[in-house]
Amino acid sequence: MNSGSRAKLNTKNNIIPDLMAGTIFKSERYRQKVESVSADILRNVSLNRGFLLWMGFLTAVLLACLYAYTIQLREGLGVTGLRDITSWGVYIANFVFFVATSLVGMLISCVLGLSGAKWVKPIARIAEIIAVAFAAVAGLVIISDMGRPDRLPYVFLFGRFQSPILWDVTVVTTYFFVSLLLWFLPMIPDLAIAKDRLPGRPAFLVRAYEILSVKWVDHEKQFEILHKAMRILLILIIPLAFAIHTVTSWLFAVTPRPGWDSTIFGPYFISGAFVSGTAAVVIAMYFFRVSYKLEKYITDFHFDRIGRVLILVSVLYFYFNLNEFLVPGYKLKTSDAIHLRELFAGHHAFLFWGVQLLGLVIPAILLLFRKIRKPLPMLVISVVVLAAAWLKRYIIVVPPQAHPYLPAQNYPVEWIVYKPTLIEIAVSVAAIVLVLMIITILSKLFPVLPIQEIAEEEALAKNESV
Amino acid sequence: MRKLIPALTAILLLGTRLSAQDWTVPDDRKGRLSTFAFDDETRKTGQKLYTANCKSCHGIPGEDNWLRLVPPPGDPASEKFQKNSDGEMFYKVVTGRGQMPSFRTVLSANEIWALISYLRSYNQGYVQQVMQLITSSAYPDAEIRIALAWNSADSTVDISATAVSEKSSVAVTDAEMQLMVQRRFGHLAVDEPRNTDSRGFVRFRMPAGLPGDTAGNVLVMARFTDEETFGSAGKDTILRAGMPSFNESLVAPRAMWNTARKAPVWIILTYLGGVLIAWGFIMLVLLKLRDIFIIGENSTLNNK
Ligand code: HEC
Repeated sequence: MNSGSRAKLNTKNNIIPDLMAGTIFKSERYRQKVESVSADILRNVSLNRGFLLWMGFLTAVLLACLYAYTIQLREGLGVTGLRDITSWGVYIANFVFFVATSLVGMLISCVLGLSGAKWVKPIARIAEIIAVAFAAVAGLVIISDMGRPDRLPYVFLFGRFQSPILWDVTVVTTYFFVSLLLWFLPMIPDLAIAKDRLPGRPAFLVRAYEILSVKWVDHEKQFEILHKAMRILLILIIPLAFAIHTVTSWLFAVTPRPGWDSTIFGPYFISGAFVSGTAAVVIAMYFFRVSYKLEKYITDFHFDRIGRVLILVSVLYFYFNLNEFLVPGYKLKTSDAIHLRELFAGHHAFLFWGVQLLGLVIPAILLLFRKIRKPLPMLVISVVVLAAAWLKRYIIVVPPQAHPYLPAQNYPVEWIVYKPTLIEIAVSVAAIVLVLMIITILSKLFPVLPIQEIAEEEALAKNESV
Repeated sequence: MRKLIPALTAILLLGTRLSAQDWTVPDDRKGRLSTFAFDDETRKTGQKLYTANCKSCHGIPGEDNWLRLVPPPGDPASEKFQKNSDGEMFYKVVTGRGQMPSFRTVLSANEIWALISYLRSYNQGYVQQVMQLITSSAYPDAEIRIALAWNSADSTVDISATAVSEKSSVAVTDAEMQLMVQRRFGHLAVDEPRNTDSRGFVRFRMPAGLPGDTAGNVLVMARFTDEETFGSAGKDTILRAGMPSFNESLVAPRAMWNTARKAPVWIILTYLGGVLIAWGFIMLVLLKLRDIFIIGENSTLNNK
């Protein structure tokens, strides 16, 4: 599998099962490839001890954190650090981070996929898993920020069409479903391949494969329909993904609060989302490559490519940061100035500059070097970028609230200066644990790479070089 | 609106912090008393007025949840607050000090007494002393009657004051009067205070373009400025002395910042349209899955 032959491959869309291949599916070479590829990939589909231990560990942590949540449920939001002045804290930072990271599903699958970037084929499903997991939990995170979660239905019962909150709930739900379909649909041929190749796995899993493979028989018509369905989804997900994160940004930007009152918040959020999402994909790629022993399929070449994507989105995000901070920083309108001073040289300066430099500027510069765009250095960089991405959401959410327009006179300090409590942190950790659990289940019970597409590509590659 | 009052005063007076020095009331005002006895009716009126005008700063009496201003407004149920005599309380509410606003033009004397009657309900040991109705010292035993007439031709209000007793009816002469118009918050003084002439007449000029209700009606109030001499006699009348104004309520039209039922049409359509389109396509994809299933089933059947 060298990159040279890959480049020569057909220019058709790569995520969509290739119709033009036609007879390739009947060829002996394809069948051999299916055997070898599925053996490599299905090896990891199992409820082995590692999986059970890991899930057991996650469950234990989750239960501990949920206990913290029961306290919050009983006592109310008073057990958090949230008060009148700073009423959005780590929960909302977490929410924004989750929505942001889930956006990568759209970036990889659609923007790159539709443009014919062939190399995304093996990592598209990984990106979709991340999208599904983060989008699913983002909705739950919002509920953890509610003092009266039992009133969630009120959003729909009494929601105002004018309210970005209603739009947000709607869009997050829709995005989750479409991401789920984008993960599931291209996997149908794989499920059909896999259902006869899972000896020794629990019967329920095999049964699930049978049902989920919706009687897939590699029929030409089936390919045609799947192709059409995918095309609908790939186009639908683009406006949806833009909507989901733009609306999230509007939750802030429709207020006149210094630090949130920005006209570029939509693209600022979206470009930032691409950065954190891409970093998350790199981490997942590295993990699956090493622990699932998929070095043959997730190669240095893929890391090199996704490294370039990370540079690109970082530069884009840097550009929006420049606009977001330099322009108000130049004018220093009274209220903006108070906020910006806190960021640039005050209370939050350490965090602010740390995040901007370590999470954005330095990674982008380092990644310019080919040597850095190798799996291990990329992993390290991506972990830093992802952590910084979380902290950046914290900077966006929390500091602007400390400077309300109306004077906060004679309030206790802890009403104004926000500090998350242990309970709050535990509940936030629960959300992260949930994401990990979903990613684990999706990647351990189902093939993590597209068997059928890789086999097809390998068979075609042979054909051409012969 | 009610929240705005404390907020605005707080901003305006930020910095001009008065030290918590004693608030002394002139001696001749301390002993002033209500002219009517406090009962459940007056307490109820007072409670309403308190909720509307005072609660934002003074909090719920007895809960010590007053606004943290400097000097502190204090809890009306507190001993310090209740130590005020009726006259002192009246004076303080009328004049105000620092961040405590003056309610001189906002509340009538009777309203302030009603307020005090409510506040006294938090004082177990309080026993009310009632003052005799202040009648005019200049016209003993007479009832002072005031009549208002509106001349639309020259935009003036003519007032006549007469002291009527069983025996006689005489004009109230050379008494200073003040004309006020009720506004949304407080009263607007109209023209300068003037003295009645020898026939007991006085004429005030209404400002041009004074906004009234949809018919142009305004509530006009005539009072003697020298309450000591003329008592609390006064007259409230509705006159068609204003401009008809048709202020559409700010929440009447469809708008972004309005209730769900008043949402702009375009946003309802955009939202519902977006939801329908997205979920329509999702349904379409699910139907396609069904097609895939049917094809698969048919071809397995054929192969058998
Ligand atoms: C904008 C806030 C504000 C509002 C509204 C307000 N007050 Fe006050 N009030 C204060 C402050 C502040 C003080 C203390 C003033 C000082 O000591 O200089 C005060 C003092 C008083 C006092 C004197 C208390 C004492 O211990 O001697 C009385 C009586 C009083 N207010 C009654 C009222 C009533 C009745 C109303 C409603 C009609 C009202 N206040 C509305 C802020 C307010």
